[in-house]
Amino acid sequence: MPATTAPRLRGSGFGFALPAILLLLAFFVIPVAMLLTRSLTEPEPGLQNYITLLGSTTYAKIFFNTFFVAGVVTAITVLIAFPVAWTLAILPKGWAAVLFAVILLSMWTNLLARTYAWMVLLQQTGLINRMLMGLGLIDQPLQLTNNLVGVTIGMVYIMLPFMILPLLGVIQKIDPAILQAAALCGATKGQALRRVLVPLAAPGIASGALMVFVMSLGYYVTPSLLGGTANMMLAELIAQQVQSLVNWGMGGAAAFLLLVVTLGLYAVQLRFFERGEAG
Amino acid sequence: MTAPFLHINGIRKTYGDVVATDHVELTIAEGEFMTFLGPSGSGKSTTLYILAGFQDPTAGDIRLRGRSILQTPSHKRNIGMVFQRYTLFPHLSVGENVAFPLRVRRMGQAEVTEKVKRALKLVRLDGFEDRMPARMSGGQQQRVALARALVYDPPVLLMDEPLSALDKKLREEIQHEIRRIHQETGVTILYVTHDQEEALRLSDRIAIFNRGKIEQVGTGPELYAGPATHFVADFIGDSAFLAGELDGIAGDQAGLRFADGTRVAGIPLHGAGRQGQAAELMLRPERVELTLEPGPQGRSLPVVVEDMTFLGNNTTVSARTGWGAALTVRLNFGHPLSAGLTRGDRLHIRWSPEAAHAFVKG
Repeated sequence: MPATTAPRLRGSGFGFALPAILLLLAFFVIPVAMLLTRSLTEPEPGLQNYITLLGSTTYAKIFFNTFFVAGVVTAITVLIAFPVAWTLAILPKGWAAVLFAVILLSMWTNLLARTYAWMVLLQQTGLINRMLMGLGLIDQPLQLTNNLVGVTIGMVYIMLPFMILPLLGVIQKIDPAILQAAALCGATKGQALRRVLVPLAAPGIASGALMVFVMSLGYYVTPSLLGGTANMMLAELIAQQVQSLVNWGMGGAAAFLLLVVTLGLYAVQLRFFERGEAG
Repeated sequence: MTAPFLHINGIRKTYGDVVATDHVELTIAEGEFMTFLGPSGSGKSTTLYILAGFQDPTAGDIRLRGRSILQTPSHKRNIGMVFQRYTLFPHLSVGENVAFPLRVRRMGQAEVTEKVKRALKLVRLDGFEDRMPARMSGGQQQRVALARALVYDPPVLLMDEPLSALDKKLREEIQHEIRRIHQETGVTILYVTHDQEEALRLSDRIAIFNRGKIEQVGTGPELYAGPATHFVADFIGDSAFLAGELDGIAGDQAGLRFADGTRVAGIPLHGAGRQGQAAELMLRPERVELTLEPGPQGRSLPVVVEDMTFLGNNTTVSARTGWGAALTVRLNFGHPLSAGLTRGDRLHIRWSPEAAHAFVKG
């Protein structure tokens, strides 16, 4: 009878997932719970860690930096990744594979190595400044490191594959005949892009943007190497609180706020896209 | 002489060494329903895509009302098209799909509403404005696609095997709808199909495509009665072909000799042939008669009855010629011969002069 077999099937599925669930429980859920506890109890019980974080201008600037950079990085990444994903989707198979390999290779290269490479390229006497000066476009070298410009450039580069992959997924599923139909209906390339291609790619844009935004919020290496101490972001604050100041209460509170924001964004995405796709 | 409404002038399209279409030449009158009929890879779809502007021809020109359209990009050609696959915009409702061509033309809302309503009424889907395409059947989706292609009153409507994804019953229903819509709107339709029945049912004229070329253009009856080539004879109607060689050519008529020495004579010959050259005799089955006596002037063949199948309104007789080629002949119900027929009976098939054609092989 279906009524009795269905629950048993569901039970066996749970069995397969058990190792993963135990792992998450031991190394994620329990530590997060401990962190939350410490943020509410150290140095003394109460919400004072959260009040300090949300109340002071110093911390407000860090929050602003974090969300501003994550937002700008996400926007630029979408703008760059969309044409790249489109190119990948329409290129002949061989060329698409080459381009795809280049993207993956850059993703697989060590993060620190890539970030140091950007430091070399972006510094005052770096390649980019010398090239711009050589071309006569600028007289003085631009300040590209130790500020949010450097952080943004470095992070856009690192985040690109995470935007290209989900975009490629949705764009590859679009039947080219739909775009031909749009053209015969009288749509210019721009109109076809705005009215057909982008709406059809919206689920991919949303999941890529969420991934990039959330990863950017918690990114540590790139902001600390390219941003300098004056432009601290949230992950640097957490590291500083925990490692230098051994202030587990503040660090925990900041980490927990980050987690709440992330889950909130994920909920928004689920609400607007996943259900729409299924229905 | 005024320029023809639509003139496909010597269109040639090659991909590297592959010739997709070769000097396709055709004029189409305003309001005509013209079908491109042919097997897959015969160049009929390529010709349609060149008309749509998705591909550029290697050589040749297409003129609409005397003016070349090849330099005009697809979105400015103002041509309607219904595709083989479902191409409704999945994120837009039926109403917005039909409104799409008007919105990109920046038409006012009142006029859009009015025209969408009229277009949906034309395809008998009034009231479906708010439905999403995914929640409609394939037949309904193609009707919406038709409404979307007609809503901006294009001078020419292209249809690329729009019914090939549908089952037979639905196909016939929508064929009927397409005929009605053609009559109601008077739009010029270019229709691509590989289905001869569909072509015969819908079209004013049919262009038979084979290997990138048009073999023959004509109305259904013209093509059926006077096929210019072996290919056309084979593609329209299901005919019997008997292989032999030319024996005695007199003007445009020829005799044929078969493997066992049997001869027929007085067959209209298509193509230039020499004495002794391989050729085929084509017989339209419904014009062939089973008789006890041979026909006049060599227009008959002796056959042996192999099998009979009673099919209600007719009895289908399988027979074999003296040299072993198989033929089928139908006897209408009540035909005097059908009652007493047995296997092994020696009879004759004979035909009226216009029912047989000889095609030179090669």
